[in-house]
Amino acid sequence: MASSDPISPSPAARPLSPHLGIYRFTLTMAMSIAHRITGAGLYVGTLLLAWFLLAASMDASAFAYFSGFIQSIFGRLILIGFTWALFHHLLGGVRHLIMDSGYGMEHPEREHLAQATLIGGLVLTLVVWAIVLAVE
Amino acid sequence: MNQSDRSLRSALGRARYLGSARRGAQDSWLTQVSAAALILLATGFVLMLLTLLNKDYNGVRIELGHPIPAILTLLFAMTATFHMHLGMRSIILDYVHGHAREWALVANICFAGAVALACVYAVLRIGFV
Repeated sequence: MASSDPISPSPAARPLSPHLGIYRFTLTMAMSIAHRITGAGLYVGTLLLAWFLLAASMDASAFAYFSGFIQSIFGRLILIGFTWALFHHLLGGVRHLIMDSGYGMEHPEREHLAQATLIGGLVLTLVVWAIVLAVE
Repeated sequence: MNQSDRSLRSALGRARYLGSARRGAQDSWLTQVSAAALILLATGFVLMLLTLLNKDYNGVRIELGHPIPAILTLLFAMTATFHMHLGMRSIILDYVHGHAREWALVANICFAGAVALACVYAVLRIGFV
């Protein structure tokens, strides 16, 4: 009870801890949660890998069903998203291995690493899908 | 008072390797080792998938029936499912509490194990059946 406390008789205006909802947005922060989200996406996405391999191990109609899904608009969007998540998570993992080794945590380097993860993931996705569209 | 006070082990010996996750650094280390392996394996697997473009059912089976693509696929699938099990484990330990945590950890092992076994079974079946 503050009113009867002899040491601090008046409730002075003290600085409060910031609430969780008040923070400055940083790229490194976004890359941190993006690494988790892409990882969780890839976790579910391994069902596609299992489906692909199982379909190829069964008869031609099972494989045709898988191919039909993958070549539909919905399947394509999922596969493009999976490709991006894979490359983003891969580069994010390289970034984490660099930081776990004790490098790249100072001001300019950590921003450059975060930017490289973001841009690199998008570029690699574009490269792979340019190859896919060129071959088909 | 309790059993730990009468233990012959030192206080440091009892506390060592028992972080907040109770498993010390083991999960983190295995995540890093499998991540390093996956840099090569995932890149190789994506390149192999690109060679499968425009191949039909028989073409894909012939390619995956060769030893190097088959072993690459097996290594990738097993390492990836091991790595994703550890990653989801750390997500569960961060966000899920109480009894739900136990169920989530068990479900995580079941899912990752089922995906791993399905992939291994399929690759072996393509090669041997």
